[in-house]
This record gives sequence, C-alpha cells and structure tokens, in this order.
Amino acid sequence: MAKNVDIKSAPDRIAVIPFYGAAAISFLALCSLLTFFHSSLSLHYFNPQTLALAHCAALGWGTMIIFGAAYQLTPVITGNPLSSPVLAFVSFICLLLGTIFIVLSFLNFIISWHIILGGSLVVLASFMYLVNIWMSIPHRISSPIQTLFLISSALWLCVTTISGLLLAINLQHHFIPREHLELLKLHAHAGLAGWFLQLICGVSSKLIPMFLLGKTKNSYLLYWSHGLQNIGLVLFLIDGYKNGVRFSSIYFGITVAIGVIFWAIFLYTSYKARLRKKTDVLMKQSLFSFVILFIALGMMLFTFFNPSYKWASMYIMVVFLGWITGLILPQTFKTLPFIVWNITYKGMHGKAKIPMPKQLYNEKLTSIKFYLYLIGLFGLFIGLFFQIQTIIAISSYIWLILAIAYCYNVYKIILHKTNIS
Amino acid sequence: MEINLSSPQGADQLKARAALMQVLDPELFVNIIDLGLVYDVQFLERSIIEVTMTLSTPHCPLGDAIEEGVNNALLQVFPKHKVKINIVWEPEWNFDKISPEGKEQLGLS
Repeated sequence: MAKNVDIKSAPDRIAVIPFYGAAAISFLALCSLLTFFHSSLSLHYFNPQTLALAHCAALGWGTMIIFGAAYQLTPVITGNPLSSPVLAFVSFICLLLGTIFIVLSFLNFIISWHIILGGSLVVLASFMYLVNIWMSIPHRISSPIQTLFLISSALWLCVTTISGLLLAINLQHHFIPREHLELLKLHAHAGLAGWFLQLICGVSSKLIPMFLLGKTKNSYLLYWSHGLQNIGLVLFLIDGYKNGVRFSSIYFGITVAIGVIFWAIFLYTSYKARLRKKTDVLMKQSLFSFVILFIALGMMLFTFFNPSYKWASMYIMVVFLGWITGLILPQTFKTLPFIVWNITYKGMHGKAKIPMPKQLYNEKLTSIKFYLYLIGLFGLFIGLFFQIQTIIAISSYIWLILAIAYCYNVYKIILHKTNIS
Repeated sequence: MEINLSSPQGADQLKARAALMQVLDPELFVNIIDLGLVYDVQFLERSIIEVTMTLSTPHCPLGDAIEEGVNNALLQVFPKHKVKINIVWEPEWNFDKISPEGKEQLGLS
C-alpha cells in the first residue's frame, strides 16, 4: 500500500481550467461550422470544410479537454503531482493558437506558412504534454498499466502531430513518395487508435472502478488490451505506408478491436463487482459512449468492404460526435465541478454550509443535453446514410443547441463565485 | 472510530465525532465518519487533537479538501485546540469500513 503519499496533489488551476474553457468554445465553434457547412459532409472527406471540422473536433475539442483532464488526473494515475503546471499552461497556448491557425487555413484552404506554423505549434504542445507526463512518473508507480496507457497515448499523439505537420508541408512542397490520401488515413488512425483510444482506455480503467466502487483484480486484461492495440496499430501503419490501406489491413483493425474487447471485459467485470448499485446519470451516459465505440469499430471494419466516401464520412462522424463527444459531455461534469469546488470551497469545508460540486451547474440540463445528443447523432447518421440534406441540416442545428447548453453549464461552473465568507 | 464513554476523553471524542459528521466526501455525499475514513481521535497534552484517518483512494484530487474539512470542523467545536491529522494507509480502507447508515446512503445495502 502507498506510503508517504502527498495528498496535496491537485495541480494549479492554470494547468486545467483554461483547457475546459477553450474546449467548450471549440465545441460551440465546431457545431456552428457544422450548421454552415453541413453539406460538405456529403462530399468526399478531403474537402476544406470537412478537414476544418475534423481538426476543430480532434484538436480544439477532443485534445483540448483531454489535456486538461489528463493534467488533473495525472496525480491520481501516476501517484505523483504534475511535474510542471507552467509547462501545462504553455502547452495550452500552443495548442490553442495552433488549432486556430490549422482550422482557419483549412476553412479557407490557404496552404501556406499559416498551416505549417499551426502544425508546428501543435507538435510543440504535444511534446510539452509528453514531457510533463513523463516527468510526473515516480520510481514507484501506483497504477502501472494505466501509466503505460497514459505514456503510450502521449507518444502516439506526438506521432500523429508530427505526421500531420509533414502532411501539411507535403501539401505545399510534395516530398513524400506516397499518395497523400493514403497517408491521411494513417495520420487519422494514429490519432484515433493511438492517442484517443489508448488514453480513454487507460484513464477509464482507473476512474470507472473508482466512481462505481467496483474493484477488480483482472488487470492482466488491460495488459493484453494495451499489447494488442499497439501491435495492431503499428502493423497497420507500417503496412499502410508500404502498401497503402488495403483489404488485408482489416486484420490489423481486428487486432485493435480484440484489444478493445479485453478492455471492455475489464470494465464489465468491474461494473459487475461494483458495490454502488445505483449508477448516476453521468456514468450511464459515459458507459453509453462505449457502446458507440463498438459501433464505430464495426463501421471501421465495414468501410473496408465499402470504401465509399459516404461510409467514411459516417465513420468519422460516429467517432468524433458519437464516441469522443459522447464521453466528454458527461465526463466534463464528473471532473470540472470538483476542480472548481476544490479551488473555491476547500478552505470552508467543515466550517460553513457550502454547496457540493453537483450544485455548481444545472443538473437537469445534463439529461436534456443527452437527449439532444442522441437525436442529433441519430439524425446525422440517418441523414448521411440516405443523403437527405434537410435531415442533416436539422441535426446540425440540434448539435448547435446542445453546444450552447454545454457552454452555458461549463461557464456556469468556471465563473462560479461564492458569497460565503 | 470507537469511543469508550467511560474513558476521560469519551465526552470530547463524542463531540469530535459529531463535528466530523459535518465533513462530507464531495463525490459520494456521505460523511467521513459513516464512510469509515476516521480511525481514531485522541486528545493529547497541550490542547492537541490528533486525528488518525485515511482516504478512499491515495492521490484523491479532493484529499486535501477533506483534510481541510476535518481541521475546520474540529476547530469550530474546539477553538482553543490545535489539530494534527495523520493520514495513514494501513489498515487499508475497504467497503467493510462503511457504516450501515453510510451503506444505505450509497445504496449498498
């Protein structure tokens, strides 16, 4: 059991809060762009608006909020305080500026120094993140497999951002002797299966048993999961670079999918062994996003059989709006209120009647947001499947309403002021 | 936390216990006494209250907020005392330490 544990391990607010604030604005920007350019979803995915949407979702929304959450949760996972909150804040500035440059460049399809500068800033942010996490790992790690996921996902993030920068340079000065669209698939999957998937697997395998009070000793499942996910991804990238993404690439996709199944079995055994039988709404919503992950994996395998751009667009949409957004929306309120509460009320705890973290935001709105999410997702799916522009347009407005409600709740927490002295 | 009412400290320990029931775990909404996080409270010489307690998870981001809550709650009742908090990891906290009332609040029973 841990000894000499430093319980004052929550990082400084500058290492966390700005990420949540910027991610909420990015989500609003993403949904606004979706309403303006929803018709681009029906085109080939290599078009300026879809690329802008995808990078706004991946960097401004997904990566931004994951950076903030990861900096907050690093002490919980590694058992050591975050190495440098200042470096975390600098990585925020780089990621924010980099994302703005990249999204605006794609939106206007101006392939010049702007996109290369943006890409360079994002690469810089990813390396700062890697170094910060790496430096936070103690000699004696309290959760080795979760730390392994944390580090490997950070490494994959660096691979993704470097490959993205090289692709941006390649758009301007063609120097990579491969087809650009094939490389784009590799870049995207390094980010999805390396960065997002591995980070989510690692963090959720620590937090979900913690929230549900469900301890499980089956951590060997996570080692298998980590191994299979990485073997599948490495082979996919090597083979994809040499031969292009082809039908036989499906075997590497299946390897990754089996790895995900091992992780899901771990979570399921933890869920079954939970003592807290009443699962709260936010946890239910989070668990639902894992169902969407399996749908996304099924769609990934399906797109090998049907390599049309319609399926590719649907696959990208299900991954970003279904899985990643489906997890971020509830998990924001499992983390941010506690962070702000800790800053505002820590000193008054036990002294005065103070609100609890759940009371810092509109709890009813979280259920409404979930229904908006379900309707918006289903609408986009049906609209894209049958190529009905009206349904796609209506769905994009539902997403915009959802983003406004989410921003309201996030800023209600961030701007919370107490009148208790 | 066991209290021997016939001991000289019994009455003070009872007051301390009642004060600590005001300290809630912000995630679970259950007080730290019913969660079984407080192992012992001793009133030492020179007006020092020594609390021996644990946390449900090492490196819990809210660990120092709970520690602060313990300090504040005890000083409200014993303003002339100093509070010394020892966070220990042995014996390890487990679900068996939750009181029947705590289990009921968590929906465990």
